Amino acid sequence: MRTTAFTVLAGLVLLAATVPVRGHHAFGAEFDPDAPIRLQGKVVKLEWVNPHAWIHIDVKKPDGTNEVWMVEGGTPNTLLRRGLTRDSLTVGTELVVDGYQTKDHSLKRANGRDVTFTDGRKMFMGSSGTGAPKDGRDPVDGAKKPPPPK
Amino acid sequence: MKALSAGLVVVAAALASPQLVRTASDRDQTPVGIAKPWMMPRTADGKPDLQGTWNNATLTQLERPEGSSLVMSADEAARMEKGFSERVERLSEASDPNRPAPPKGGDGSTGAAGNVGGYNNFWIDPGDRVARVNGEYRRSLIVDPPNGRVPTPTPEARKRTQQRLALNKGRGQYDHPEMRPLAERCLMSFGSNAGPPMLPNYFYNNNYQIVQTKDHVMILVEMVHDVRVIRIGGERLPKQVRRWTGDSIGRWEGDTLVVETTNFHPMQSFRGASENLKVTERFTRTGPETILYKFTIEDPTTFTAPWSGEVPFNRTDELIYEYACHEGNYALSNVLSGERSRETREAERKKPQQ
Repeated sequence: MRTTAFTVLAGLVLLAATVPVRGHHAFGAEFDPDAPIRLQGKVVKLEWVNPHAWIHIDVKKPDGTNEVWMVEGGTPNTLLRRGLTRDSLTVGTELVVDGYQTKDHSLKRANGRDVTFTDGRKMFMGSSGTGAPKDGRDPVDGAKKPPPPK
Repeated sequence: MKALSAGLVVVAAALASPQLVRTASDRDQTPVGIAKPWMMPRTADGKPDLQGTWNNATLTQLERPEGSSLVMSADEAARMEKGFSERVERLSEASDPNRPAPPKGGDGSTGAAGNVGGYNNFWIDPGDRVARVNGEYRRSLIVDPPNGRVPTPTPEARKRTQQRLALNKGRGQYDHPEMRPLAERCLMSFGSNAGPPMLPNYFYNNNYQIVQTKDHVMILVEMVHDVRVIRIGGERLPKQVRRWTGDSIGRWEGDTLVVETTNFHPMQSFRGASENLKVTERFTRTGPETILYKFTIEDPTTFTAPWSGEVPFNRTDELIYEYACHEGNYALSNVLSGERSRETREAERKKPQQ
């Protein structure tokens, strides 16, 4: 099954159907829906910064020359809490990225709509049950999980 | 080896029974297996100790659909939580490594992902559980009005919105950095994370650190590194002094910290509220792991009725990491230069052919 960032965000929108979900910025303002892109190349640099991490990859163009592209990710803080640091992704790792180029086409930047290794595996795993604080607890029921659905 | 396996047994027992975790450290005083009743921790001056790091992420939304009840059944809560964790598993599955670029014209995403998708789910860390208050599974954070919805805006508030739109007519939202939202400019938190009211952002980093003295309570909000200093029994600032997160004055009512905030910065407009906005918060330590956070919003010039909500804040052992937003904020310049670039392309397209 093919999973994409579209389903990620569509899911989030469904989840948050009654509140306007606000990220740091609206992706539609930064990236050009008419400039879809697929990139494959080795990591040359990681900017593990807020508000968004940027992964620099060296991409071979059809004419044989190389070009460095910057790929936008999310906040590194959530990954840090799961024990993932800048060192968890080493320079030289080959990645496959699909996304959309910035509206300023001179920049060679794109959103990392789906970032995977060359075998298709996701660069990291999701957050469920991996150290996220157990929210929603209540002193009345302690830290008990609700019973499984019938 | 023996010591190691004994340790593992202890760990396994601790995982199986949270009650045992507490008694294990106090076993000199308490027979093993019997939990000591929780005692309100107190600061040197005898006030409830609210200090520590807290997280308010949850699956429960601020509002709930019309006609639905505040409380949901344990079964429904379990289904929601299971649905969430299954979705995360699904989104962690591998993609086709030979996948092509996404479709030209956009991928149809809505919300913050605005037709270009966002980024992978592994970056995101929203709440994975339904909010629980007084043993109830909640369908909305809003408890009053009883329909769980933000009251409708007053005619005056609608008029203000119209006037603001008229003022900005002819100016594009990408024409100047100051036309961009506060979060994009790294000035204030996402949504109402910093508040007050301090609401979950349903994305990530919903962490708060509370530090308390006799005269002050400080709340550090992870995003975007906003700090609010509440003065206990202090005097209110003059009306014209308007600050980010407003002017907060606190008092103790029994074991509850009550904080009233006014004097909000005009640019930090909470749901279209006016300069008359008053937010009252109530922090009550309800257990070793929980603060019950209640809030009430009053602004008769904006909302047709006051409204209130309840959010559990849960203790976390995680660290708050610096959210130095300006350092890597390529997004703001990308948005602005993107628009200039789009305008140039548009002008060239419209130029008459030679």
